[in-house]
Amino acid sequence: MFDYPIFDMPLIGHRLLFAFDAILHVFISHGAAVGGSVVLVLMQRLAIKNNDQKWDDLSYKILFTFFILATAVGALTGIGIWIHVNIINPAAIGALLRVFFWKWFVEWIVFNVEMIFLLWWFLTWKSSPLGTPAKQKHYKLGLTYCIASWFTMAIITAILGFMMTPGNWLKSYFPAEPDYLAALVNPSWIPSLGFRTFFSIAWAAAASMFLSWFFTRNDMELRQRAMKFLGNILLVCVPLFIMFGYWYYLQFPQAAKDLFWMGAITRRLAANPEYFYYLTFGLVGIVATGVLTLYAAPKRAPLVMAFFVLLGSMGLLAEFERIREFVRKPYIIYDYMYANGVRVADVPYLNKDGYLKHAAFVPPEYRTVTEANKLTAGKYLYQMQCRYCHTVNGVNSIKARIRNIGTDESVIYARIGALNSPATPFMPPFTGTDDERHALAAYLAYLVKDTVEADDALLAAGTPITVK
Amino acid sequence: MHFNIIPGDIPLPLPTGGLEFMIPFFHGLLIVAWVVHILFINVLLGASLASVYFNNKGAKEKNPVFDRVGYLLTTPVTISENMGALWGVAPLLLVSILITPVFYSASIMNSPHWLHIIYGNIVAFLLSYLYKYTWHTLEHRKSLHLFIGVVGVALFFTLPLAFMSTVQLAMTPSTWTYDTHFWDVLLRSDTFFRLVHFYLATFAVTGVFMLIYGMYKRRSADATDREAGVILTRTGKSWFIVPTVLNFFVGPLVLFHFPSYGIEAFFNGGYHWLILLTVVLALFAIYQLLKDFFNDDLPPARVWTVVGVMVVAIISMASLRHGMRMGLIAPVMAASEAKTDTFQRESLAAFEEAKNAPKLVVETNVPPGKALAEKHGCLVCHSPDQKLVGPAYKDVATKGYSAEQIVALVHQPKPENWPGFPPMPPMTQVPAEDLQQIADWINSMK
Repeated sequence: MFDYPIFDMPLIGHRLLFAFDAILHVFISHGAAVGGSVVLVLMQRLAIKNNDQKWDDLSYKILFTFFILATAVGALTGIGIWIHVNIINPAAIGALLRVFFWKWFVEWIVFNVEMIFLLWWFLTWKSSPLGTPAKQKHYKLGLTYCIASWFTMAIITAILGFMMTPGNWLKSYFPAEPDYLAALVNPSWIPSLGFRTFFSIAWAAAASMFLSWFFTRNDMELRQRAMKFLGNILLVCVPLFIMFGYWYYLQFPQAAKDLFWMGAITRRLAANPEYFYYLTFGLVGIVATGVLTLYAAPKRAPLVMAFFVLLGSMGLLAEFERIREFVRKPYIIYDYMYANGVRVADVPYLNKDGYLKHAAFVPPEYRTVTEANKLTAGKYLYQMQCRYCHTVNGVNSIKARIRNIGTDESVIYARIGALNSPATPFMPPFTGTDDERHALAAYLAYLVKDTVEADDALLAAGTPITVK
Repeated sequence: MHFNIIPGDIPLPLPTGGLEFMIPFFHGLLIVAWVVHILFINVLLGASLASVYFNNKGAKEKNPVFDRVGYLLTTPVTISENMGALWGVAPLLLVSILITPVFYSASIMNSPHWLHIIYGNIVAFLLSYLYKYTWHTLEHRKSLHLFIGVVGVALFFTLPLAFMSTVQLAMTPSTWTYDTHFWDVLLRSDTFFRLVHFYLATFAVTGVFMLIYGMYKRRSADATDREAGVILTRTGKSWFIVPTVLNFFVGPLVLFHFPSYGIEAFFNGGYHWLILLTVVLALFAIYQLLKDFFNDDLPPARVWTVVGVMVVAIISMASLRHGMRMGLIAPVMAASEAKTDTFQRESLAAFEEAKNAPKLVVETNVPPGKALAEKHGCLVCHSPDQKLVGPAYKDVATKGYSAEQIVALVHQPKPENWPGFPPMPPMTQVPAEDLQQIADWINSMK
């Protein structure tokens, strides 16, 4: 927001930078940790029951892969989500941390249990061989890890659900006073937790099918058993996560439901909502083809089927997360804070008093708009209100958006006044005085003139733009 | 002291549940969690470097004992890299609520370089696993194996650069400008001396760790492990003593590089007594080790005395550092709180005023088509009588389209009909029955 310095991520923009880290985290934490622990505990149980060394070895190989991914990539990208949001939207994460401090603190304690038991389980696997009493004890380490990793997800899901929930978590705006219990027990918590739980197990089973294809290259009999076992897990979990998913969908506010299909594809395809169905059913079809082939004919199934399972599931997971992030717009915390960090309740004051006036990291000479400084003032406004979603030349380029409506300053000015309108319901309104709105329009009009000077000025962030 | 920039705070209460004692509790927790995090990071850096060093030494001198020492050290690397990352979360959570304005501002000023603590870490982690799990497979390709190890260690050693410059920047808001960036901070002399102090402490802490690890390995059933234990004990002694003595000289340089108002607050708070305590304890630990310096069979009592004394010294050190941090940021935190309060008060007034403002006189007899055009956002780009983004409706009306044609054109516009205008996106979300009425309204302007 206006209280923090400006961090500009050129070309890829903030959303893609964040999505890269967050999607990576979801792939790995859901697959390798939450779902993976369930699948592997079930596998180890079977190995102990049948005293089956080959099955035990296969489980260890899958665990080895999941361990490397979960600790080196999963855990760090999870912390990375915080670090990214810290610099991208400090006002939002600051608010979330204050409302959810104790939940996060409890999660951290559970996270300790998860990490310690994962390390213990993994590092002592080989020293607790099958057929010894040590193996029984060892199995319990895995079970504890499994329960702890599910709990960490349960807590995070409450926070994500809260971000989607309008209304009653705030007892009063001034002074802001959260209702901590209402924030935790939001209506989408349980359905989304059920959805994520079964999705995770299904996704881990799918990833394990992919890995098993490699680990059983020389043992077709083992492959057949592995594919049957993992396929059965998938067949149980898929209907469950679809059911919970539908229940979850019902909890979304209507405005969010209206944005659903657009979140699933891109705005460029706004004319063809049917692409949403093509994409979703296409991905489901790819996964189903892979799973059913591996399940029905494990000995003859080619490698490409294993890739189908892996890539199709990753596509579905990515699509789900994109929809969830997109339909929240124009808010980042529903009804409390807009995507660009402006609190909804502060809008009347900022419109009256001025947005730049309160921007701590804008040099004082640009806090009041004048004829001489208006391009630079407009640039600061762009950087503080627009670059949360737009970049100048890259992803969701502001230049391309402006060119769509023409380069005329008065047209741009008019458009800025109606950002949160039915034409673009996902955009937050512009916040600031009329002078500031003119300054932003002037800067954007200047930007699309496409002169060499305009580009140079963009590159040198913070340098004043002189009007020629 | 003059501060150019006073950031605002998050306008939500601290999660204390209304209990006064929670604030000092949070500070205590921050000190403890921070120490645990840093100790794991110290061992991670020190043990991974030592592992590569002994791996190389073992290969060069064809001595399996050194090779074993290197291999044994990969286990504490795995554990401390995971636990170190995990115990970084608690301080992150606490600083994010206790000192939000300074911590967030500093990390944003240092971005995107601040993200190195994530991405650089992931790559270093993966390399450290590669190094560990190829120890036996790459036995006969030592130079490749050492190369992997060296790159991983080098990468781990770059992480404190991003980390220390952000902490140092957060602690010194008096140095903030409207254009402060990562390299400005990293190349400052105060950051430099803090890094030197930190890296030296890394070796000292790893030295103490080696004393404990060596003590257990000396009791092992395996003969090579026992010999490796002796090497660890010998290395541990010198790794602890030499850097600790050097830090007696670097420490004052760190202290006197802080802005003078911070040093003043530090002495006024009596924190300099903790420096004295830390130095005395460290000297005592050094004395304990010197007594048995040439004794490879270092008695456990001696090891535990050193560990115990150093734990107290480290907590004392962490507390005095915390005192320095709080003294440095106190003026800005107070100003930030006052600023946030004023903002909230004025914003409340404007909010109430807007809420109580009489509703604008509602225009009666609005044609239903116009109301629907407003509702669906058509008027963002079109006006009845003047060219905006798109043509004026009265110009559309002169084209003489039927209502059905207009409905079809809104759902699938034909930009070629309107040269010189930016193309209109298809507005398929507007239902046909509403468009019918909008079309009637447009055509009524003929």
